[in-house]
Amino acid sequence: MKHPNFCVHTAALGAAVAAICAAAPAWTAVPGIVGANGPQTAAFLLDAAEGYSSQPDGASVYSWGYGCASAPTGYAPAAMTAISCGTMQIPGPTLIVNENDVVTVTLINNLPVAAGPTSILFPGFDVSTTVAGTQTGTAGVLTREAPSSSCDPTTHVGCNTVTYTFTAKGPGTYAYYSGTQGDLQVEMGLYGAVIVLPNATDASISSCKRGPFSLAAAAYKHPQSCYDREYLFELAEMQSSIHDEALAQKQACEGAIAANPTATCPLISAKTEPYHPNYFLVNGRSMPDDMDASFAPMYPQQPYNGNPHMHPNELVLIREIGQGRIQHPLHIHGNHARVLARDGNLLLAANDKLSPLAGGVPRLAGPLIFTFPSVSGQAVDAIFTWTGKGLNWDVYGHTAAANIPCVPDANGYYTSMAGAPNYGEYCADHNKTIPITPPDPQIVANGLWYGGTPYLGLSESAALGFPSTPLPPGTAKQNQSAGYAYMWHSHDEREITTNDVFPGGMMMMLVIDPPSAPIDEAK
Amino acid sequence: MCKYRLVVGALLISAGLWVCVPAQAQSFRVQCPDKTALHPGAKTDKGSIKCQHIAGSDGFATMADGNQIYLFGFAPLSGLEDIQGGLPGTELASTFNKPYSGPIVADLSSATHPAGGNVNAAIREPAMLMNMGVLAANAPAPLIAIDEDDELYLTLSNVGMIMRPDLFEQHTVHFHGYPNASSYFDGVPDASVAINIAGSFTYYYTAPDAGTYFWHCHITPPEHLQMGMVGQLFVRPRQNQVPKNTSLRDALVNTYKHSDGTTYDPCVADVLCSSPIPPAQLSPVKQPAAGAKYAYNDGDGSTQYDVEYPLQMMGFDPNFHFVGMTFNPEAFADMKDKYFLLNGRSYPDTVTAGVIATAASDGVSRPAQPLPAAIIIDKTHGQKRALLRISDLSVTEFSTLATVGVPMKVIGFHARMLRDEAGNNMFYDTNSITIGGGESIDVILDVSDPAYTAGQTFFLYSTNLDHLSNDAENFGGMMTEIRIL
Ligand SMILES: [Cu+2]
Repeated sequence: MKHPNFCVHTAALGAAVAAICAAAPAWTAVPGIVGANGPQTAAFLLDAAEGYSSQPDGASVYSWGYGCASAPTGYAPAAMTAISCGTMQIPGPTLIVNENDVVTVTLINNLPVAAGPTSILFPGFDVSTTVAGTQTGTAGVLTREAPSSSCDPTTHVGCNTVTYTFTAKGPGTYAYYSGTQGDLQVEMGLYGAVIVLPNATDASISSCKRGPFSLAAAAYKHPQSCYDREYLFELAEMQSSIHDEALAQKQACEGAIAANPTATCPLISAKTEPYHPNYFLVNGRSMPDDMDASFAPMYPQQPYNGNPHMHPNELVLIREIGQGRIQHPLHIHGNHARVLARDGNLLLAANDKLSPLAGGVPRLAGPLIFTFPSVSGQAVDAIFTWTGKGLNWDVYGHTAAANIPCVPDANGYYTSMAGAPNYGEYCADHNKTIPITPPDPQIVANGLWYGGTPYLGLSESAALGFPSTPLPPGTAKQNQSAGYAYMWHSHDEREITTNDVFPGGMMMMLVIDPPSAPIDEAK
Repeated sequence: MCKYRLVVGALLISAGLWVCVPAQAQSFRVQCPDKTALHPGAKTDKGSIKCQHIAGSDGFATMADGNQIYLFGFAPLSGLEDIQGGLPGTELASTFNKPYSGPIVADLSSATHPAGGNVNAAIREPAMLMNMGVLAANAPAPLIAIDEDDELYLTLSNVGMIMRPDLFEQHTVHFHGYPNASSYFDGVPDASVAINIAGSFTYYYTAPDAGTYFWHCHITPPEHLQMGMVGQLFVRPRQNQVPKNTSLRDALVNTYKHSDGTTYDPCVADVLCSSPIPPAQLSPVKQPAAGAKYAYNDGDGSTQYDVEYPLQMMGFDPNFHFVGMTFNPEAFADMKDKYFLLNGRSYPDTVTAGVIATAASDGVSRPAQPLPAAIIIDKTHGQKRALLRISDLSVTEFSTLATVGVPMKVIGFHARMLRDEAGNNMFYDTNSITIGGGESIDVILDVSDPAYTAGQTFFLYSTNLDHLSNDAENFGGMMTEIRIL
């Protein structure tokens, strides 16, 4: 059976999942942990541990993840109060540091013995594993590792560690992930992100305003990297049979040790080729779970969501990382985005002597994209926005008779009246009627994110002369503000499934809320 | 008696509360005004009103190994003559609104269609619309092309999928890459409305910035895209209309004017600026002739081409299509394409001229694959630069396309010129490009070098070498020829 929207499917899957259809809206910035323990330093005590990820088909998938071995120094952004860091999470904790911080990450190997050693790679940084002249951990192929041991998972007594130190030289978004047996360990969930914030006093961005839920006012020391909101999407996939195999071997090992404490068991060897992933993840979750709140209690080991919201004309920073082993073309409905940087490397015009930007910094050179061609291990930062310009009809459904003001600024937008319900409207289209006659509401199917009219922020259509539309129950809950919703999803469309069932997988809905609807990312 | 209808979706249905309403007549309605506020029909009009009519339908296509494959697809209901000529089915309102006088179903299998008449006009009469829409799906879906400053009224009529009477499927149109899209016309059923069988929905677009876009249905995408509901769409730039001998750069600069007449840098206020102004030219590049063609508003002539070819990369999994014709649910995780296509064909069908017709289950032969993929550059008659508008709607994997003999110059990506905000072109020469589903890229093949002569043939093909096969045949696949005449 095929269905145009989610609740049919989720209801069919069972009551627990169906609950999403009635859940309150939830959206979140880029929550993470900070490690400042002095000027220009940041220290993190992480562990690698086992756990289970929850998937919308009801599966509980055995996984490994990084987590906080003890409470971190702090959390960011400050406006988020319901924020935490567990001992095992997928993705691992987002490490938020300042440009030029000396970052120290100590990793405790708290994985089951059969998992063997583990490690972290920080590509893009010059990493040292030496502390006070002494090498930490043991030698590995790509970096020093923390060997396995049957240590106390709570107190960490007897656990092995390795310490990585690097200077966070440039602002941007970076991946971190296991450098040990990556085909298994990264598959199992050992990956995360580092975000380096630019020096806010730099002249190029000192006039940028930080949004209440933003980590910074700008992504880079560049005026065109200022942003109002930000979202981090770590894209990955899983083949659950690998996880099942790892669990079986781990359990066999534990059984052998239980029977004979001196027994040794072989390292887990799961079949990672040929690769046929059946789960496709945004921040460790699949649709529709990714739309639930960050830190929702249903997903204790997948704390980060994927539920972007914005207002018209806002600048949204998208931080995207390919954390799996295959490419995922993440298509963003609604508009193009301007690529700022790859792996923290800002893409600038060469020889831009005529730059009109503050301080003469060169203008941007990154491409405009409508799909993130996500590459394994690569982080891409891009700026997205949406203004409604050029539609040739009034997205708010204004009519001349209603006499609602729209006074264009130099760029044609209504920005002179903060708090106006049509703040940012493109005035050239003001009061223009929609150029088509919508179909009879009796012959269409309504989507769960459909507001009930063609217009942004209008859930009542009768007043505008449209037949009032019978909306499915739950619609208002998904999109209470009658915002414009856009699917952001893998365009390898088989990846918007969860273990063979559509819809699911690597999919989110961006909601552009009308200016009058507040967006509280702390929820 | 009454018909069941998916009225309010979702929770009601899952709760078993089907809504029963009297069976009602069809609600097909094709919208294409002759005049609009933007195009009142005055001499000063820029661009035109363009209209296109398509059916959400099903049908059959023939793969290069001779096997027939079942499609969910879009059928042309306007511009029939143009589409069979490999052209867009997008018509001027004045053409579209004429009474249709082309072939009817009874004529399709016969080689002698009634000649002349308004073959490109829209088919709107309901019975005729059903007759001509059912089983008439095309692979790829009907080509759409507009010019900047146009308005496009695109009507989708859902005629149902006659091979799958068990399905109530809606269809939609997603204009992939449309900037500042309204969710209402974005085609995502979750965020808008989707048209039921026997109804029509008219999508409205002003032509966005020039570029190579594409379109597809957005209902259950892993299924409807795999089954063939994918097509091509491009927008030609305003620069094509610049008068002869006018500086292209001046023309571009003049589009960035405040109401007080002062000009501005488009990229300062808009981080998504699509056509940055190129550096000043010592000797300004001028429009060489009326009718010159460009991929983008470049201001320097660098995206000029003589002939263009839309090429859509795509794959079909024959097992999935077979299951799709039966009354069983398809599996997604194991989807594996076995036919690797350019414009719905694999080699050697890619270079077959004209339409490829397939007899559907009713015995009627229909022109299901109208668009060849041969790249023909008529150097003898002055053609030197071919623009390849490459889009990818594979739902399973990234693919690489390579050329032998003629290098590719990549000039655009995702319907945008490759140019930094300071106006410097970031074009690059390469022998291969790699894109995934949901991406597009613009490539120019330049054979102006005297070493290229008429009679030469080169190849464009996938270097994912397993893609050079037609299911069990170890030959063919995603390949076509570049022929210099
Ligand atoms: Cu469809």
